[in-house]
Amino acid sequence: MGLRELNESVRVWWTEVRASEVGRIFTVRNIALAVAAVLIVLAIAFSWPKSEKAPQPKSPSESAAKAPAKPQPAPETQPKAKSEPGTITTTPPLATAPARRGTSVGRETVEADVSTRSVSITSNFSGTEIVVFGAVDDSHQETAEAGIYDVVVVVEGTQVPLVARRKSNVAGIWINTESVKFERVPSYYAIASTRPIEEIADERVLRTQQIGFTHVPMMPDPTTKSQLKEKELEQFRDAVIRLKKDDGLFIKKPYGVAFIGKALFRTSIDLPANVPVGPLTTKVYLFRDGSLLADYEAHVTLQREGMEAFLHSFAFDRPFLYGLFAVFLAVTAGLAASAFFRRRGGAH
Amino acid sequence: MDLYLPIAELSVNVFVFLAMGAAVGFLSGMFGVGGGFLITPLLIFSGIPSAVAVGTGAAQTVASSVSGAIAQYRRNNVDVKMGFLLLMGGIVGAIIGVQVVKLLRQIGQFDLFISLAYVFFLGSIGTLMMIESLNAVRRSFSANQATTAIRRSHHNWIHGLPLKMRFHRSRLYISAIPPVMIGAFVGLLGAIMGVGGGFIMVPAMIYLLRMRTGLVIGTSLFQILFVTAATTVLQTTQNYNVDIVLALILMVGGVIGAQFGAVAGEKLKGEQLRFLLAGLVILVCLRMGWDLVVMPTELFSISGITGGSH
Repeated sequence: MGLRELNESVRVWWTEVRASEVGRIFTVRNIALAVAAVLIVLAIAFSWPKSEKAPQPKSPSESAAKAPAKPQPAPETQPKAKSEPGTITTTPPLATAPARRGTSVGRETVEADVSTRSVSITSNFSGTEIVVFGAVDDSHQETAEAGIYDVVVVVEGTQVPLVARRKSNVAGIWINTESVKFERVPSYYAIASTRPIEEIADERVLRTQQIGFTHVPMMPDPTTKSQLKEKELEQFRDAVIRLKKDDGLFIKKPYGVAFIGKALFRTSIDLPANVPVGPLTTKVYLFRDGSLLADYEAHVTLQREGMEAFLHSFAFDRPFLYGLFAVFLAVTAGLAASAFFRRRGGAH
Repeated sequence: MDLYLPIAELSVNVFVFLAMGAAVGFLSGMFGVGGGFLITPLLIFSGIPSAVAVGTGAAQTVASSVSGAIAQYRRNNVDVKMGFLLLMGGIVGAIIGVQVVKLLRQIGQFDLFISLAYVFFLGSIGTLMMIESLNAVRRSFSANQATTAIRRSHHNWIHGLPLKMRFHRSRLYISAIPPVMIGAFVGLLGAIMGVGGGFIMVPAMIYLLRMRTGLVIGTSLFQILFVTAATTVLQTTQNYNVDIVLALILMVGGVIGAQFGAVAGEKLKGEQLRFLLAGLVILVCLRMGWDLVVMPTELFSISGITGGSH
């Protein structure tokens, strides 16, 4: 028994078909095939996107096409020092910030770290959670509930080029017609804060610090930019944010950061199963009365490990061998199955 | 049990895909078809990027055709010369097809193209099979068993083509062009649709080349095995879209399902089987077509630069 029998049944199937019956069908089929070819050619001609008139196979996208489609993990090249906590940068108080009371002006700084500096994606990776914790130096807060300080934690993945496409109805069929290429969009963006960021600081501060989905840098490719109105571009930008949110790759937790003591705070950030591999940058911002007091940066590496890393680098670094291996595996599986079932006398 | 797929970059439930492989294996065992035309759409419906579905489908077809091809070769049912011509055409077709996949992914029309290809080929073949099987059922009811003589006119347009060759095994003396063209067309379809292409090649060989049915099955399996193997390697080098882990899960489910399918298939009559298969083919076609014509809830989609649709 086995695929041999399966194949036998194919033979039976076809010999049972009386030649005259199929002969009649085949003439119809022959005509149908010709019509099909014409239809498909027409369909492609229809569906050719207007905003991408020239697919320019020799443009940068060609080199991008040659290279793997995904951000390269390159675990070894990740310098060790990068996973060490970054340096403290105290931002001078903004000139426009509301007047601050008390003696604490500009004195507080923030330090933070991440529970897991290195997240490994293995064969049973189904998402994980990292904890970002930190403390406010020189905290003037009496209790955790006082709420003098606001903390915003942003975890951002690598910035990669991305194409957004919009479908429209052409001759009754929904096809991609318009597209916008964004040069750099973070592959992952999570934001957690002590309260909604709009309440923490005003629009201008958030924009300069690039905090929040709407302030994520998302520059359209210069070639597509000129062809679209600003309003349309906005729709595409919103769509990218919406789709990334749906995929669980853009995450917002407005009350995600909690103070545990007068200085200590923590938050947990979800890394979903589909999180793109690559280094993550964690930024912690300390606000008081709407102005940024300090920020801090830490890094998390996210890399494939074990079988997962092996298969992925095998597929992308040695594609030819990988292909041969896939064929070998398939041939072995097929032969093993037929040998096994033949020995057992089949399932008759 | 969840498993992270290295190429599809998704975490999937192993049992869901084992079951899917087994279900398709059951159907392919029952109907005696390769199952590529079922597995690829099912993978797409279940959220696997369509390019990965197509590449992985090719690898899976290798597994399901290998033992059949060897068995046929042992029974001397393979016209190696003919198979070789088909194969040459098939590899050329696959090379073109893989490039087409690459180009379509870059311009963001791969999903559309594969849906159209499926709707068209499954729709036409499903309908023709449905008509044929209904006629056969009706005839068997009316008990009119008079078999019509096989119309086998020895001269059609094929015989006017140059580059004639002698095929001893098939007892044919025909041009080398039609086998190469048929092979190329099937190779192209295989690369784009992730199928073996037997459903096109078998009738084409019987009615265009006038080969004996027994030889057609063996020779087409021979061609499918090598072309899908070549397609797998081409897809990995050009499109990086063959997921070994996914392919392995599907193969394991598939070979087990096929055993039970073959048993179930023996309990049904030929025309009943063909009727059911036609119904199945039409269902897959309608499901594919539905997504094309119904207004999607989300008009936008995002993808990386080379593709990998969402």
